[in-house]
Parts: sequence; C-alpha cells; structure tokens
Amino acid sequence: MELLLDFFRGPDGVTLLSVYHAVLRLSLPTLALLIVIRSARSLLGFRREPEVWAWLRLATGELLPVTHWENLLGRKKSADIVLDFATVSKNHAVLTKLDDGGWTVTDIGAKGRVEVNGNQVLSGRVNYGDTLSLGGLEMVLEPVSQEEARLQADSRTKAGKGNSPGLTLVLLTVFQLLVVLELAFNREGDRVTIMTAYGILIGVQWLMFIAQKIIKRSGFEIETIAFFLISIDLGVCASANVGEMYKQLIAMGVGIVIFLVLGFCLRDLDRAKKLRYLAAAVGILLFLANIVLGRNINGSRNWIYLGGFSFQPSELVKICFILAGASTMDRIVTRRNMWGFVLYTAFIGGCLVYLNDFGAAAIFFVGFLAIALLRSSSYPSAVLILVGVGMLAVLVAAAALAIKHFPHVANRFSGYGHIWEDSFNKGYQQTRSLMCIAAGGLFGLGLGNGWMHYMAGVGASDTDLVFAYVSEEWGLLMAIMMIFALAMLGLFVVRSAKVARSSFYTIGASAAMSILIVQAILNVFGTVDFLPLTGVTFPFVSNGGSSMMSCWGLLAFIKACDTRQNASFAVRLTEKGGART
Amino acid sequence: MKSIANRTWFALVLACVLLFGVLTFVIRYFMFADRWVSFTGSPHVYTNGRLDTGEIVDRSGEVLYSADSKQPYSDSTKIRKATLHLLGDRAGNIPPRLLRAYASKLFGYDKLNGTAAMETDGAELKLTVSAQAQAVALQAMNGRKGAVGVYNYRTGEILCALSSPSFDPLDPPNVEKENTDGRWDGVYIYRFFHATYTPGSIFKLTTLAAALDNDPGLADETFVCEGVRIVNGERITCPKAHGEQTLKEALAHSCNCAFAEITLRTGKSALNGQAEATRLTQSIEIDGINTRQGHFDLSGAEDNDLAWAGIGQYTDLINPCQYMVWMGAIGGGGVAAEPYLVESTRCGGRQTYAVDREETPRMVSAETAEKLKTLMRYNVKEMYGSVDIPGVEVCAKSGTAEVGTDNNTATFAGFIADEKYPLAFIVVVEEGGAGSSTCAPIARTVLEACINVLDGER
Repeated sequence: MELLLDFFRGPDGVTLLSVYHAVLRLSLPTLALLIVIRSARSLLGFRREPEVWAWLRLATGELLPVTHWENLLGRKKSADIVLDFATVSKNHAVLTKLDDGGWTVTDIGAKGRVEVNGNQVLSGRVNYGDTLSLGGLEMVLEPVSQEEARLQADSRTKAGKGNSPGLTLVLLTVFQLLVVLELAFNREGDRVTIMTAYGILIGVQWLMFIAQKIIKRSGFEIETIAFFLISIDLGVCASANVGEMYKQLIAMGVGIVIFLVLGFCLRDLDRAKKLRYLAAAVGILLFLANIVLGRNINGSRNWIYLGGFSFQPSELVKICFILAGASTMDRIVTRRNMWGFVLYTAFIGGCLVYLNDFGAAAIFFVGFLAIALLRSSSYPSAVLILVGVGMLAVLVAAAALAIKHFPHVANRFSGYGHIWEDSFNKGYQQTRSLMCIAAGGLFGLGLGNGWMHYMAGVGASDTDLVFAYVSEEWGLLMAIMMIFALAMLGLFVVRSAKVARSSFYTIGASAAMSILIVQAILNVFGTVDFLPLTGVTFPFVSNGGSSMMSCWGLLAFIKACDTRQNASFAVRLTEKGGART
Repeated sequence: MKSIANRTWFALVLACVLLFGVLTFVIRYFMFADRWVSFTGSPHVYTNGRLDTGEIVDRSGEVLYSADSKQPYSDSTKIRKATLHLLGDRAGNIPPRLLRAYASKLFGYDKLNGTAAMETDGAELKLTVSAQAQAVALQAMNGRKGAVGVYNYRTGEILCALSSPSFDPLDPPNVEKENTDGRWDGVYIYRFFHATYTPGSIFKLTTLAAALDNDPGLADETFVCEGVRIVNGERITCPKAHGEQTLKEALAHSCNCAFAEITLRTGKSALNGQAEATRLTQSIEIDGINTRQGHFDLSGAEDNDLAWAGIGQYTDLINPCQYMVWMGAIGGGGVAAEPYLVESTRCGGRQTYAVDREETPRMVSAETAEKLKTLMRYNVKEMYGSVDIPGVEVCAKSGTAEVGTDNNTATFAGFIADEKYPLAFIVVVEEGGAGSSTCAPIARTVLEACINVLDGER
C-alpha cells in the first residue's frame, strides 16, 4: 500500500500534478509492452507457408514443389527437394531461378551426371518443359500458372492479419504523444522544438505506412519497432541536448532513403548481386577516406568531418560489408569467391585496428562469423574455423597491444570488473550508470528528470550509456522493452529463414541482425560492467547520426527476408514472379 | 536452402545471449540496486559529497552524524575521535560502511519507484554502540595501537567497537608526512573488525575447550611443570618451574609446559574442530562490515608446532571481534547472540528497519562452557585482581603473544557471568608488553563504563 502511495508521490506529496506524472509513468511502459507484444505476435506467430515457384514432375507423375529461388536437389534429408533414389547423390545439383523467369541447374560435384534434355551440363539453363535428369532420374520442370500463382497469393495468410499493424502504429502514436506531454512539462523551455520534432517523426512514420499500403504492402512491424526505438532516442536527445533532435531526424531521413533504395534494390537478385561490387568498392573507399581524413575523438580516429557534419565511416561500411558477404547458393556450393570475402574482412579489420576502434572491429568480426557460417555450406568448415580463429587471435593480440600503448583503451579495460574500486575515475561511467539505473526504479524518474544528462558530452551517457539513460528517466521496464524489441527482430529473422527465397536474403538478414544484436550486447553489457565499455551504440536509440543511418540500412536486409504474403516492399509479389509469360 | 536456414542459429544464440544477460542484470538489480544507489558519490542521494541521510545516533540517542548541519560530525572532539571508524572520514580513506549498508533504508529508496518517492525527513540510523564507552576506551588506550570490544552476548548489541589510534575527522593528520615514527601505521584500518593478531595465551581457552570436550576427566588431573619441556627437540618454556598443579592452576599460571602436554593429547583434529566451531577462520558479516578471517592451519605441523599452536603461537591468528563472540559463547553456556551494530532505521516518520536478533551456532557444549567459566573466574580471583569489579563475576584470560623481540601483543579476553550485565569483551594492545598488566586495567575501565550505560538504561 505504501509502495503504491509512493508511486503517486511527487516532491510536494500526492498532488494533482504528481498523479498526472504517475499515470504517465505507468502508461508509457504499458503502451511499449503492447507495441512490442503486438509486433511479436505478428512477426513470430505467422504461419510459415512456402511459396511455390515451379513444379518438378517425376516419371511417376508425382509433382514436387520448388519452394525457393535456390534449391538443393539431392538424396539427403536436408535437401530442399529430396530425391530418395540410389543413383542420386546426397548433394546433387542446385536449381536456381533467374530474374527473367528462367532457371539454371548447376552440378555440385555429384557422382551421377546432370543432364538437360539428354545433354550433360555442369551449369546450364533449364526452360519450362525441359527434362532434367539427375543420375538417371528424370523429371520435367513445369511452371506455376498465373491462376495457380493468384490462388497461392490468395490462400497464403496476409502479413499482419489478426494483429493489424495500423493499430499498432496508432498505439505507437499515442505513446509518442504521451512522451511529448511529459517532456512539455519537464522541459518547458524546449516545448516548440520537442513538439515539432515528434510531429515530424509521427508524420514520417504515417507517410511510410500509407505509402506502403498504396503499393499493397501491409507488414509494418519492422518499421514500427524502429520508430518505437527512435521515439526513445528523441526523448533522450530532448533531455540531453535538445538541439540534437533535428540532427537525429535528418539522419533518420537519410537512413530511410538508404532503407528504401536498398530495399528496392534487393527485390531482384541480379540487381542486388551487381550492387555487391559497388558496395565492396564503396566500403574500401570509405575506409581509405577515414584513414586519410580521420580525426581523433575520444582516442579513436574513426570520425571524418564533411561540411560541418561529422560521421563514422565504419557505420556505413557495415551495409557494404553485408552486401559484399551475401551470396547465392549456386555460388556457395561451387566454392567460389569465399577467399575474396575473407580478404575483404581482413582489410576492414585491419583498418579498424589501425583506427583503434575495437568495438567496431568486434562487431565486424561477429558479422563475418554470421556470414561465414551460412556460406560454409559444403565448404570445408575447417578452413573457415581456421580463418575465424585466426582473426580472433589477431583481434586479441591487437587489443592487447592497444591496451599497452593507447591510454584510452587501457583505461577502459583496466576498470572492467573493478568499477566500484575506482568509482571516481576508471569506473566513473559504469558506476554512475548503475547508480542512475537504481535511482530510476522500474518506472523511471520522468523524462528530463534524470542526472545522466550531466554527462551527455564527455561521459557519452546519451550514446555509450544509453541503456542507463533510458533506465533512469524512462524506467528499467522501458530499457528492457527496447531490448525485447530488438531480440524479437532476431527471432523473426531466424524464423523466416526457412521460407526465404534466396540464401542471399538469409545471409543478409542474418548478418544484419547479428550485427544489430551484438551492438546491443556490447552497449548494454558494457554499461552494466558485464563487459569492458567499448563505446558501441545501441541500435536506433543511441544518439548518433551515422549509427542511425546504418541501422536503417541494416533494417533493409531484414525487410528483404520478410516473405509473408504482401508484407514487404523489399519483396516482389509472387503473382508476377512465378508465372511464365 | 534448408541447410543454410538451419545455420541461422547464430543470430538466435546472440539474441539469447542478449536476453540472458538482461535477465541476469535484472536479477542483479533486485539484489543490489539499493547498494548502487547509495554508493559514495551517487548523484541522487549525495549532495556536495555528503550523503543526505539524516542522523546517526548512538544507543543513548546522542547524535554522532547529521547530514543536515553544516558540520556533520559531533561537536565533541572526544566523540568524533571515538566514533571515527564507525562513521568514516571525509577523505574516504575510512569508508562509511554502516552508512553504505543502510543508506537505502534511510532515504526511503525502493526498487519499484527508485528515488522518485525519496524523502529524508526524520531519517535516523540508531546504533547499538555507546559513544561514551568508546570515548572511555579510546582514552584508556592512550594512543597505543589495538582494539577494544564489548558486546552483550545475550542480545548481540555491540557497545564498544574501538580501533586505536584514531583522529579527529575535522582535523585529520597528514599521515604520510607525520608517520616517521610509525604512530599512524594502519590508522585507516578498523582494527576491531579488520585486523588479525597472534592471540598468545588467550588461545589456551580454545585449546582447553577442545581438550575438555575430548576428555572430561582432564579437569581432575594434575600437571607437573619443570620450567621446560622438550617437544620433538624444541624447548617449550615457562618463566619458572610451576611444579605440580591442578588444571585450574595450570590455566591461572598460563603454564606452557602443561598446555603443550594438553595440546598434544588433544590432537590436531579436535583442535581443528574447535577452531572451526568458534568460526576462527571465518569472516562474519556485521551490518555491512565483514570481519577479517583468522588463521589456524595445522597441516604439516610437527608435534612442536602443534604444541605452540595450542599455546596461541605458531601461525595462529585471531580477529578481535570473532574472539570476543567466542568469549560470549562461553558466558552464554555454549552459544551467544550474533553481534550487530545497527538497532533500527527510521525514515519519513516510519521504521524502515529493525534488527532481527540471531544466535550463533553452538561453539562448545554447555558442560564444557560451565567448566571454562569456573576456570576463568578462578583466574580473575587469583591473578587479575585489578579487573575484579565488585558485585559482578568477571571471568577472563590474558595473553602475551610473542611476535618478535620486545614486540609482544598484549591480549585480554573474557566476559561477565551476570544476567544483568551479560558482556563479553576483548582488549588487544600492539607492542603492549604483558597481557594482564597492560590490558586488564583497560578492560576494567571500559567494562565499568558499559555497566554504567546499562544501569542508566534501566
């Protein structure tokens, strides 16, 4: 009872104003929970209904559905099309769909031959009506008729059914309005800026929602999660440094452009594959520019200044890195091109070590592991493990060297695990974080009412320690909610991998997600002293323009693996794609 | 595609690591948030480097520390010096351990609302110590290094937990510069809780407890002392030949030769058992203060080592607080109350903490405790007349621990066998010479002060 009364108590006891704030304090986490739960039900509860792109008719008359753009044909159980015949190899061939509607078949080192219409091929085109023979087993490739495609599109569950993303977005809008109401009280002088900034945010999110409705896309959960996190980000900015709100909005705008362009490019594989080389080149250029123009901020030289704006090239390279690393299955299983990617990763890692940014190096390393694991299909895993372990060894050795030679790195690491013993010096950031998390309680002290904003500049409380910042002002519940939101996206990527169209998308989404999650891990665990503080941003929430842009870019990959019916603008509708014209 | 999809577990593992980490953190939050929020320098509860905690008072209500006044410490220099180690100094060399442990209770922190509903009006931390008794103890120590402890072995209240030397927190010495003669050595250490000492002959009580438990007939035996006894080629000596003595005479004479024999007869395992029963090598937590563990290790000890260990030499080390509680257990018939320093806390007009008294595990059987009491009472009557306060039965044993030439640690420990004043005590003086002559007068002064305090409360 006393606890309950305390909940409504303000500085002057229980007053009308204190009750108003108390209701707000309770409403925000409740709404956040609803938003996260509704999105989760939609993203994690959907039925994984395969898309059929073609049929293979066996001599027995049996029809086998071809459910991906890339399909492994073979005798083993984990093949996409299981052909349980003695003459067929375990991994026999890959059947790949082309953007023009045709198909190719690739022999992947089978003992038996691969023939198209009686001619042996190593890799060759297959048209509808052609007879494909694997180790003597004959089958005919048949198209999905327009009628069938339409039927299939109609029968598959539409994205967001039962959990209308529109309603979730309404809840988010209410959430944002309540945030504005609270900030308007606690930051009276900045009312206009705060209301304008949130107004723009609300406008942009509804504009995107409506635009996607117009092109018949109804899955908006992924964007909703991003906008939810950005709502918190803007609240942190309003509290820490109100001028940053517009900067973050501009970065968000650029990020959304990257998101849309990249998402659109990812619709078609040929286009996406061409983009890879450009992306790889841009990545290299960005790092070279960084090395030449880099400025030292907080001990790391991973910043460059252009026309009054500062940004971290390594953030944008993440997108290039994933594009360069993603690959289609026909290439994966024919063992091409892996070393190129290994070298590319080594180059990036080297640059980051040179630039003294170990947080980013760790992130890229995890991204590399995610990609390498998916690409290691029939590749001797030992080689990859060796490469991985080798890179880790280099990273650790470099980190050890850096700890010896670079004071700011050494400081960060030496405080780790002993923060309370040196709470005014090496453990300052983390101990203040824990103190403020504790002070915030479950519901927070109210937006703008915390102490963390005093260390927003040098102390990086609005970026590196944003978990504590949010805990203090918004409450531990809200801080947990933003982690749930992110983890949920991770589960969605894993779940949707089974019905992905191409391994290119699976690799892209999985790597993007791994990078986002590892950033959250390094950020949160660093703040609470589970790991050394590495100065990594929390996706979408940490105040930082480059980080905001890169997060939107990474989100495009996740959007591209959302094959729920009519879900994603980054996925072409099946009606057109499947049919022979 | 299937095999590739199956390998997305990597992202799943990362997500699980994130969720597991957050879960771990939430558990830690519910375990430790009150400590975090009240840690030195915490921005929500510290103003200008001082905790906004209201007042700390001693058992009689005397204000020892008040966060609201300009100068937070007591106005009396004597009291400031006597309570320094309990309250902590300004520079943070002596941490305010009690405040830290109870701060969250003092400003009404709760883990649900955080500091949002915090209030410090009427906050009060009530201690069990008597500032007057501590002041008397500090004066009696007269600048010598050591510790004085007195506690009620029936209730657990610590009346005196003094560490000497001490200084005025408002006028701290420049320890680095002024310490040429070593007088400030270890001044920041709370000796009563955090120092360990070679016990010397007070350890014979522990040995005797093990021996009597082992062989109840021992009490009726006699021991012959020729002034020297050879054990395993090593000479164990007494200041003079005590001749034939009963057990109580042997203890009163503190006869090393007799106790060497008793120790060897009792054996390692019984001694180890007794050391464990008295928690000699354990650390006990008293209101956020963890006592330092003593040392008692007979592994690899030859007979001569064993003999010395039973006499309180060899590698034996005791912590004053731990040994005081053991004395309390003898007085209490085998068990004592667990010691504590904080009686209660109040905040915003309501009580936020009240002590929950506990008993120690049994340290010795009731019969053996009774025998030890008789022996220790005989000691006082025969040997330490100076501590024999009229009207109460003081039981005690002294020790002179040799820690190098002319560097003896004087020890004196015991209890009052009186239900009106159930007080156990210990006095340790470093470089103090003989135990009884140095420590007994200090013990008497402090015990009388404590008896006065208890009388005043009736």
